[in-house]
Amino acid sequence: MTTINRPRLLAMAAVAVLLGSVLTAGAATAHGPDPALSGGGFDQNQVIRYRWRAGSEPAAVIKTAIKAAAGDANDSRASKAATFTYDAGGASPIGYGAGATCGVNGLACFTRDVPDDFTMWFREQGHVFDWGTLRWCEAYDTPPNGCYEAENIALDEFGHVEGLGHHDNYDSDSDYQDAVVQTYSRTKPQDGWNKHVFGRCDVARLQIIYDIVLASAKYSTCLDLSTVLTISASSTQIVVGGSTTLTATLKVVDSDSYGRLGGNAVSGRTVTLQRRAVGATTWISVGAMAFGSVTGTYVLAQRPGGATEYRAVFSTPSTEGINGDSSPAVRVNVSGCTAVAVTKSESSIQAPCA
Amino acid sequence: MSRSSSSRPALAIVPIALVVGACAGATSSGSAEPSAAASVSPPDASATSSSAAAAPSPSVTASLSATEPPTASLAVEGGDPVTGQLGTFTWGDGGSDSPWLPGSPITVGTGERLTVTIAAPIGVATWSAKRISEGATGGSGATGLGTGGPPIAFDAPDAGSWSVQVTIDFDGGLGSATYYWLVTVR
Repeated sequence: MTTINRPRLLAMAAVAVLLGSVLTAGAATAHGPDPALSGGGFDQNQVIRYRWRAGSEPAAVIKTAIKAAAGDANDSRASKAATFTYDAGGASPIGYGAGATCGVNGLACFTRDVPDDFTMWFREQGHVFDWGTLRWCEAYDTPPNGCYEAENIALDEFGHVEGLGHHDNYDSDSDYQDAVVQTYSRTKPQDGWNKHVFGRCDVARLQIIYDIVLASAKYSTCLDLSTVLTISASSTQIVVGGSTTLTATLKVVDSDSYGRLGGNAVSGRTVTLQRRAVGATTWISVGAMAFGSVTGTYVLAQRPGGATEYRAVFSTPSTEGINGDSSPAVRVNVSGCTAVAVTKSESSIQAPCA
Repeated sequence: MSRSSSSRPALAIVPIALVVGACAGATSSGSAEPSAAASVSPPDASATSSSAAAAPSPSVTASLSATEPPTASLAVEGGDPVTGQLGTFTWGDGGSDSPWLPGSPITVGTGERLTVTIAAPIGVATWSAKRISEGATGGSGATGLGTGGPPIAFDAPDAGSWSVQVTIDFDGGLGSATYYWLVTVR
């Protein structure tokens, strides 16, 4: 299960060579969600069980760090991304030491075989590179400056296993904390050296690949998703004194680039109802709409005195990565007669409209 | 909600004169497969990548490794190309994470145009180049040197010694790689 899939790589290379830039999946965009690795994701909420590689088990402190990182990934995924659990019989081996297949300069590395398993390797404490000697912070009671934190590096690797590519930072790298899955790892005490949660741009890609957990859950602020708000009236023709219920529906626009988020119903937000008299240009706020019984809907009953237009408004929130929208207007006409008798059992039979 | 998340590139059986590199042998038991001969220097020493310093002109070949991206070389017009240190990468179904590396030494003139060549016939989707001062660590305070699509070319930084990082996203979802050079500008 851990063998590199060479035929697939070569096929991919062949396609790339022949088609040039036709296929661009995974290309980084400026400061958006982490790019996605080719190969897709695991199943939603899939539990991936890992074990220590026989003969190459990590040192005890590194095991602890890796287990903590698995917990960090599970706790901060903010999506239906796969979770990681230690199981001595698990299919995914994690190794440590001289057998690491991380190239000349790698601190740690991974392979993944979606949807079955993954491998992960960590260099050993004291490994000598061209550029220096590896020191894991966890190996010290008081970690020295210049050490790499295994928990942080392991979280980076778990992010890769989920399908995350390396984040595309600003030139200054001032946004380093927006992602754990980075193009280079940092040592103590540099910014981000001991980050134990996925960054917002890691989470953004996880949400695209795996979806958010609930319709009321927040979208990563690293996203920039358009929404579409619609509105309907239970009746667009009422009589004086009658009422109509306005129902707004809020969704994420159904775009291929949004992955699993496209078309999502969006619940639990503040959607405001506005009205104006037919012919007027100014909208007047009526109030916040209540949460409907159907996911992503918002309702408010109205008893207009005359022909009225209504629209729903969702303002762009500052705490998540979806944009506001206003619905088209729906017109409700009011006729000047009283309510129509519906059944003979009604206690008060009134004259119907002409 | 119901959309598949898969972004697996289309696979095709295409006759092509690609040769699998001899180093394409990583398996589950896995042995390290250096992409360049490593010269071990004292801990925390500055870059002395003998492989890079001695790198011959890597004429483009059709060799691809299953485990690592191809090498990349930096050159100025009329100068000998120098193979960069391979840092963090994703490639195929795997990848490796590295620090900001010191880089392979190369000396260039002020204002010269630096070009990067990939030693394999694969396309470049996007690239970006940054630099930090020699000896600085961790990439904090990096300054951009350029970004865009192919070809990979940017002007040399001001006079001084710089650790230059070039990140390349390859076409077709093949992966990405980061390469480093220690550029002395005179």
